[in-house]
Amino acid sequence: MRALTQPVPADIAEPRPAPAVKRRSRGALARRINIAVSVASLPLFVLAWELVARAHIVNAVLFPPPTVVAQAMADWVRSGDFTADLLASCARVVAGFVLGSVCGVIVGVLTGRIGFFAALFGPVFQLMRPIPPVAFVPIVILWFGLAETGKVFLVFWGVFFTVWLSTHLGVQKVDRGLIRAAQMLGTPRRRMLWEIVLLGAAPTIVIGLRTAVSISFYTLVAAELAGAFSGLFYRIEIAQQNMETGQVFGGLLVLGLLSLLADRGFAALARRLVWWR
Amino acid sequence: MSAAIEVDDVTIAFDTAKGLLLAVDRVSFQVRRGEFVCLLGPSGCGKSTLLNAIAGFERPYAGHVRVGGAEVTAPGPDRGVVFQQPNLFPWKSVRANIAHGPRVRGASRAEAGAIADRLIATVGLTRFADASPHTLSGGMQQRVAIARALANEPEILLMDEPFGALDAQTRAIMQENLLQLWSSISATVVFVTHDIEEAILLADRVIVMTAGPGRILETLEVGLERPRAVEASADPRFVALKRHCFELIRRESAQAFEKSAA
Repeated sequence: MRALTQPVPADIAEPRPAPAVKRRSRGALARRINIAVSVASLPLFVLAWELVARAHIVNAVLFPPPTVVAQAMADWVRSGDFTADLLASCARVVAGFVLGSVCGVIVGVLTGRIGFFAALFGPVFQLMRPIPPVAFVPIVILWFGLAETGKVFLVFWGVFFTVWLSTHLGVQKVDRGLIRAAQMLGTPRRRMLWEIVLLGAAPTIVIGLRTAVSISFYTLVAAELAGAFSGLFYRIEIAQQNMETGQVFGGLLVLGLLSLLADRGFAALARRLVWWR
Repeated sequence: MSAAIEVDDVTIAFDTAKGLLLAVDRVSFQVRRGEFVCLLGPSGCGKSTLLNAIAGFERPYAGHVRVGGAEVTAPGPDRGVVFQQPNLFPWKSVRANIAHGPRVRGASRAEAGAIADRLIATVGLTRFADASPHTLSGGMQQRVAIARALANEPEILLMDEPFGALDAQTRAIMQENLLQLWSSISATVVFVTHDIEEAILLADRVIVMTAGPGRILETLEVGLERPRAVEASADPRFVALKRHCFELIRRESAQAFEKSAA
């Protein structure tokens, strides 16, 4: 019986290739067209924008054409402000993200695994987590004035709860089999938490961290709203007050690109960090 | 003669939405030092639950489980466990998985590595020492899991349907490998299975259990000489034992069926 059932699957897989060739070539053509369209997408969009603005279909002062935006950006870079703004914003994002992530992971492992910590922090965190970080801008100004600490604090606040929650849930979802295997091998409690539980939850934690990358850029905007002397969103605000719409669009573009790069960069990093997933 | 494992009037129950569910009902047996015992029974008969109680993952509702005379209260490195799923640490190489036990118990990196390399050779995976577990087949992963459980040199090896998820050919090879491995160590083994032939092939003694709630139906001495190979299944005594087990389980499940139909 067993000997008979074995070779069957191999036979079933055989008699198909003839029709598949044609389908594949048609599929390949469609795929090539789609690639061409996706390459042309951005230039087409920019061209359409330029034409619409130049044709005075919209007010060119409010919707400056790409050439004007490019000019404004060139001026921005040449003045040296761009580098200063970029560095200031990146420093806030990185500092807030790192602090928020480290604290979020540590507290998440504790609340996810140890009932006492869950009971202690759970209710408070569930109450504070839904408050939008932007809402803290007024109190942050009172607490920290215009100092950098307040801006880092806002980013930290946004990142912390996201990372905490994903770690907490990830830790609770860790395969019981892995925990039991580690227990029967004599793994001491501390090593269980910071090696087996933490790495077992890593695939879920990484999802939370990636969400937190985007959140840190949202909260950066709130942070620079709270009064700043440099920064990408600070520059957008200043340009708005001076009706320099080209500069406004340039700032938006840089924010978008930076956020995109950070997200993709983190995704690539995460694939290496949790390579076993 | 001292018993390696004593299961003394053990009852295990689970809290469920419908109230207490009795999984194991007043079961008693002893396992001698160096003995290979199989717990045989249909799924849901509490045999895995009983094994978990010996391992220290479950606490009995009533009764006592003693290992080497001491009450079991928690899992420990004196009892190696091989699970139905390999449960290997996916972020560790084969070598690091096997070295984990000795490492967390204080062995140096070199000592633990030497232990791991010796066991890797024993289970025939030298070429895969640095491989990641997910690149191995199910049978190979289970060999790593056995090596990992043996790395602490436990006096007791607990195996919970370790070959249940493998295909028939691989399972037969793994059974022979296990018998060979066991003959070279002195461990006491409790092996849970629902496969009658597997139980008779491996065990010195087969404890046949019934389902809902789990009780011991009968204990059979196998008495076939060792070393055994898969060919032992043609031996008339093997066939007779198999038929006997089959009858026991069939009669029991027919009764259970009538009870549930009534």
